[in-house]
Amino acid sequence: MDFEFTKEERELQEEVRAFIKKELTPEVLKETEEEGLGDIYGAPEGRKIIQKMGAKGWLASTWPKEYGGLGASEIVAYIISEELGYHGLPFSFVAAHMAGPTILRFGSDEMKKKWLPRIASGEIEFALGYTEPQAGSDLSALNLRAEDKGDYFLLNGTKLFNTACHVADYHWLACRTNFDGPRHKGVSMMIVDLKSPGITISPLITMSDWRTNEVSYEDVRVPKENLVGEKNKGFYYLMTALDFERVLNIGRYRRIFDELVEYTKETVVDGEPLSKKPLIRQKLAQLATEIEVVRLLYYQLAHIMDKGGVPNHQSSMEKTFTAECSQHITSVGMDILGLYGQLKGGSKWVQLKGRMEKLYRNSVVLTIYGGTSEIQRNIIALRGLGLPA
Amino acid sequence: MDYDFNEEQILLKNAAKGFLAKECKPLFVREMEKDPQGITPELWQKMAELGWMGVVFPEEYGGFGGSYLDLTVLLLEMGYSCLPGPFFSTVILGGVTIMESDNEEKKQELLASIVEGKMFVTLALTEATAGYSPERIAVKAIKDADDFVINGTKLFVPDAHWANYIICVARTKEGKNKEGITLFLVDAKSRGLEIDPLETFAGDKLHEVVFNNVRVPKENILGKLDQGWPIIEKVLQKAAIAKCAEMVGGGQRALELVIEQVTEREQFGKKVGSFQAVQHHCANIFTYLETARLMTHQAAWRISEGLPCDREAAMTKAWVSDSCHSLIALAHQAVGGTGFMEEHDLQLYFRRTKAGQVYFGDADFHREVLADVMGL
Repeated sequence: MDFEFTKEERELQEEVRAFIKKELTPEVLKETEEEGLGDIYGAPEGRKIIQKMGAKGWLASTWPKEYGGLGASEIVAYIISEELGYHGLPFSFVAAHMAGPTILRFGSDEMKKKWLPRIASGEIEFALGYTEPQAGSDLSALNLRAEDKGDYFLLNGTKLFNTACHVADYHWLACRTNFDGPRHKGVSMMIVDLKSPGITISPLITMSDWRTNEVSYEDVRVPKENLVGEKNKGFYYLMTALDFERVLNIGRYRRIFDELVEYTKETVVDGEPLSKKPLIRQKLAQLATEIEVVRLLYYQLAHIMDKGGVPNHQSSMEKTFTAECSQHITSVGMDILGLYGQLKGGSKWVQLKGRMEKLYRNSVVLTIYGGTSEIQRNIIALRGLGLPA
Repeated sequence: MDYDFNEEQILLKNAAKGFLAKECKPLFVREMEKDPQGITPELWQKMAELGWMGVVFPEEYGGFGGSYLDLTVLLLEMGYSCLPGPFFSTVILGGVTIMESDNEEKKQELLASIVEGKMFVTLALTEATAGYSPERIAVKAIKDADDFVINGTKLFVPDAHWANYIICVARTKEGKNKEGITLFLVDAKSRGLEIDPLETFAGDKLHEVVFNNVRVPKENILGKLDQGWPIIEKVLQKAAIAKCAEMVGGGQRALELVIEQVTEREQFGKKVGSFQAVQHHCANIFTYLETARLMTHQAAWRISEGLPCDREAAMTKAWVSDSCHSLIALAHQAVGGTGFMEEHDLQLYFRRTKAGQVYFGDADFHREVLADVMGL
């Protein structure tokens, strides 16, 4: 048993930290503020940073070197993701962490050679194309139609809540290639150039000012070679990917907690710092404890994979717990900030640059996207405990 | 990072599990709750033969030179089976205190006997003020020639009725600080010592121990005069994590009892375990259990490795206290009416979990400790 990093892992962690501190200059942060660091691909300077990381092999560190990875362990990949997330960068790149591993697992050799190096280098990014108006938790209800026209597919339909399509290069698309038979046996995965004629991307603004999209497909042509693996096997690929990539990073929420702790030490009310008040001490200690639990659940997934296993209910447990912990952090944070919590970034008298209220609004989606907490609890019960359906 | 026990630890776990399944069945546990001794000499002897008392003591004192993590493996199984008796008090509160005190003479004299199962030691720490901080210690020990004379009352002392020696935590200097507290190894047959059992709700044999001019030679000081509290701090940390291991082991059995019930019982033509509300209770129970387990493993590992553990130990006792409480409450809800009956085993865990929550500092206490560690 060992709950600490090795010397090499700690050194890599330091290296990633130093790199991020150096690269996220005020100029870069200003540019990415428009998009938000999460949509860093949309910012030219931001993209350059991602490509520098790609050059170091950090985007897809677990891939074989021939595809641009470092052949590293999952622990290493998780350490890198944790650092990225803490600083507000995407901790999970769709191309490197969801599409890429699926291509690695199920794609043809040609597909691997064509796409993987460009993904690992950060040259290209994908956006997820799963959800539709009638297909959320029940993803197999998706019906964006892909008609087989011989040497290409013809696509028609609509995707909803597809994030980052406006800044990504390719759509990692789940579409329907078979309308007869069981729904989950008629889905295929395809790589679609988002600049293809017939694709219209319309913004949907969320309650946290973060942008997602409605994407409509009108007679969009997708070359046959862009089909991933076998036709009609897509749902199986997708579900397999989820077992490996369901991990939620606590990311910026851990950082806002650290900033909150400093705030309570520096803010004096009624003659003493807020951090001396018993109730605040209890709340901060509780949050710190939950964050430690998150750390153990997070790295457990990497440990399982490094030992050759597939995390299953453990992923659901990690995602749910981390989402709920993040919500606790911002809710308690808003309470501690009190009236100051209402002030938006840029306002006179604002504290913590208004990040608490922004993250508080953002925290609502955490227990919903990537598999709702209800779905995750079903998985824990059914697959983790073997309870009857 | 490695989350797994090693091969020896897995063997130890399986052996302990098998042994306790045979020797410590729920009926035995219920009998021992009523029995004044709390354990049979036969069972105690068998545990000694397995070497359990010696797991965590060095070979030079007759032990097995195992780690705190090895002991944790045992404690998890003991919690699972609700093992009664003076193992926790003798080994952890008694033996570990002697180990931590660095008295070569006392270690030589006592540890080998503890390991053989022939010596019982307990710790008399808490008083009517019922707390684990130095301010709550008021029992006095006053110097008189080459002896110290102890006066006062200790409460909630586990297994004092078994003890050959009672380690008394007493004030040798006026005040409420941690400086000025001394540990005395008191012969349980001393004149002026009165031991009376308390009726408890979870089956633990706790006692009132009254010191009425009890004389203790200065050779029986563990550690140094006035410097006893730092030893107690270390012991309390280890005891708290050990109690967490028991609670997690108990939580594991509680979860199994729930699964047994909900996969068997049918209502409305379906297994109760197929209803989403019940499934979500079970998912929450499992999450509380697994997170409590991971935190306990980490703290136990850090203690084993001699790494600083103030932060993790405080977090763990707070987290496990709260989580096991919630876990048991949900378990009762999921099991339903059957689980409310005395003959169902869940009530054994219900009571023990609550007792465990409070021992060695409850969740609020440890969050305050953590706040200090965080520099708040």
